[in-house]
Amino acid sequence: MGSPGSTGRAVLIIEDDERIRRVVSITLRREGLEVIEAGSGEEGLARLAERPFDIVLLDLMLPGRDGFEVCREIRRVSTTPVIMVTARADSHDVVAGLEAGADDYVTKPFVAKELSARIRALARRTRASGARPRVVVGDLEIAPADGVVTRDGAVVPLTKTEFKLLAELAAERGRVLSREALLERVWGYDYFGDSRLVDVHVRRLRKKVEADPANPTIVTTVRGMGYRLPE
Amino acid sequence: MSPTAGRRPWPLGGPPSLRGRATLALTAVAVVLTTAVAVGVWVFATQYLLYTRQNVTLGQAVANASLVQRGLSAEGLSRPQLLSQLPRETGSVSLLVDDGEWSTTSLRIGQEELPEALRSAVREGTPSRQRITVDGEPYLAVGVPLAGLDEAYFEVFPLRELDSTFEVLGVLLGLAVLAVAPVSAAVGWWVTRPALRPLDRISAAAAAIAAGDLGARIDPRGDPSLAPIAASFNATAAALEQRVRADARFASDVSHELRSPLTTMLNAMALVEAYADDLPADGREGLALLRSEVLDFERLVADLLEISRTDAGNTDLVIEDVRLAALVREALTRRAATGGGSVDLTVRADAADTVVRADKRRLERVLRNLIDNADTHGGGLTAVSVERSPDSACVVVDDAGPGIPAEERAAVFERFARGSGSTRASSDGSGLGLSLVSRHVQLMGGSVLVTDAPGGGARFVVRLPADAGTGQHP
Repeated sequence: MGSPGSTGRAVLIIEDDERIRRVVSITLRREGLEVIEAGSGEEGLARLAERPFDIVLLDLMLPGRDGFEVCREIRRVSTTPVIMVTARADSHDVVAGLEAGADDYVTKPFVAKELSARIRALARRTRASGARPRVVVGDLEIAPADGVVTRDGAVVPLTKTEFKLLAELAAERGRVLSREALLERVWGYDYFGDSRLVDVHVRRLRKKVEADPANPTIVTTVRGMGYRLPE
Repeated sequence: MSPTAGRRPWPLGGPPSLRGRATLALTAVAVVLTTAVAVGVWVFATQYLLYTRQNVTLGQAVANASLVQRGLSAEGLSRPQLLSQLPRETGSVSLLVDDGEWSTTSLRIGQEELPEALRSAVREGTPSRQRITVDGEPYLAVGVPLAGLDEAYFEVFPLRELDSTFEVLGVLLGLAVLAVAPVSAAVGWWVTRPALRPLDRISAAAAAIAAGDLGARIDPRGDPSLAPIAASFNATAAALEQRVRADARFASDVSHELRSPLTTMLNAMALVEAYADDLPADGREGLALLRSEVLDFERLVADLLEISRTDAGNTDLVIEDVRLAALVREALTRRAATGGGSVDLTVRADAADTVVRADKRRLERVLRNLIDNADTHGGGLTAVSVERSPDSACVVVDDAGPGIPAEERAAVFERFARGSGSTRASSDGSGLGLSLVSRHVQLMGGSVLVTDAPGGGARFVVRLPADAGTGQHP
């Protein structure tokens, strides 16, 4: 029952277990997504070089170059959202994967049908981004309509998720957004999202937009409340 | 913290601890020794004082006897006059018998007071002495024969002073013995503490291991006597820890390896299910059986992995502010979404905004397992409520089952514990669910217990610490 309104989003699955790869790709195709399979990190990077994808599904436990390495490599060349597939929900693996540049994660065993919802949420552009005005914070200019952030005219390379996070904070400038609110707005999660997603992404975002990431002035933490873009 | 740290080793009542027994023994020895010394001092001192007194009195009596002898020869004085002139110590009485005729210097003491044995012995020419009692007072009577026939001089000395000296001495010695008991008990209690500290350390370490802290060891530093036993204890503990961790790792590895095939199974099953309507009835039933087994299997693997992870000491606790009522509501929504039907959630007014410090993932797991348990073993979930007390918040989960007998309540939180009468049903849980509930809740500093639900079913109460007055969440 392929979704009739399929936008034909393209998904790259990098997974060494052929059976999982097959069953996930069949399911996602039935959900109306275009799926390309890769059995190793090298193959995945090669496919990624050939054409653009809307999302990458990346197994962290790969033979040869492991998922963390592949993820960092993907981040070097592209802003495509990456959903990592972890076998261990251990704090260490999840945080390391997010630090490596992943946008979200799922834990095995996962149900591909539910995964398609995650994929759609991540592939979606920021909500009503066209209607949002430009925001200038210090020397940083956020242009939701164009989907870019510039500093002194130069584009700051943000991933789609990092951009969405910054845009959501900019839209509510001066107000505190809780982790839960950000999970819902950026990742499309209900209350059950993992708040580490927000924390690691904020850390990554600060590295790119803050003059001194240790003393943030753009994305500030309000202890026990959430994050805020100061007026 | 070790569970024995706060234990008073020897409160009165109950079997005494080692320290208590040691103190008791020390006290007993001290009391016995002190008593022996006191008795020795008493005997020696009294004998010595008596001996000295006797010598003094004998000396005086003999001297006075010769004075009397001389006075009798001089014949110038009457006998009472003669006696009254004798130099005597205070309180002593002189008596003279001359040919059966008695003279005395006292109204109270006459010949009647002198025992016949003494009188006859002296009359026969033997100087003698004897303790006598006159009107309840102790005296020492000394008799000295004089030159003439049936002529003797007696002198009676009061012993009251000596006796009162003895009394004072006795009281002092008795008091000393009595005082030794509490003092030595106190000293013993105080002194045995450092002496028995090694044992305390061993028992604390053993208790910590028993309580689940497999990494507990005895640090023998500062206690050379402890070194050999600490070494063997630590070796045993290390072997135990390694064994337990290896077992846990094995369970973890096994369930981990099962995750990939499970992923394929779950998704392949979902694919087949899309065509369930095209299958004949038998095929559909087969698919339904497969589905329930795969889902059980998934839950078992997840629980096994979770529990082995906590066993292996890999506890990635992420404590954060969690809105309890929202989380419970979400869990019930999920249950409704997966065909579990809807159950009313009662949130007490004061609990609506309660924020608990908890690990959201674990708490979610706890709620899910309790709800699953109510549905699979308790005849269905009947009510869920969120309540609030000054320093804690609790979630109450009731089911429609027969309840859990009081004697089985502790056991429900054990692994693979199943109700006495239950058989394996298609919807059986993993057998680990409640065990995980208890571990997770404890890890978050809370507690879980089972009681009776008002309707007769089982009621699980999960209590979590919550700051007093934490009403508001951003």
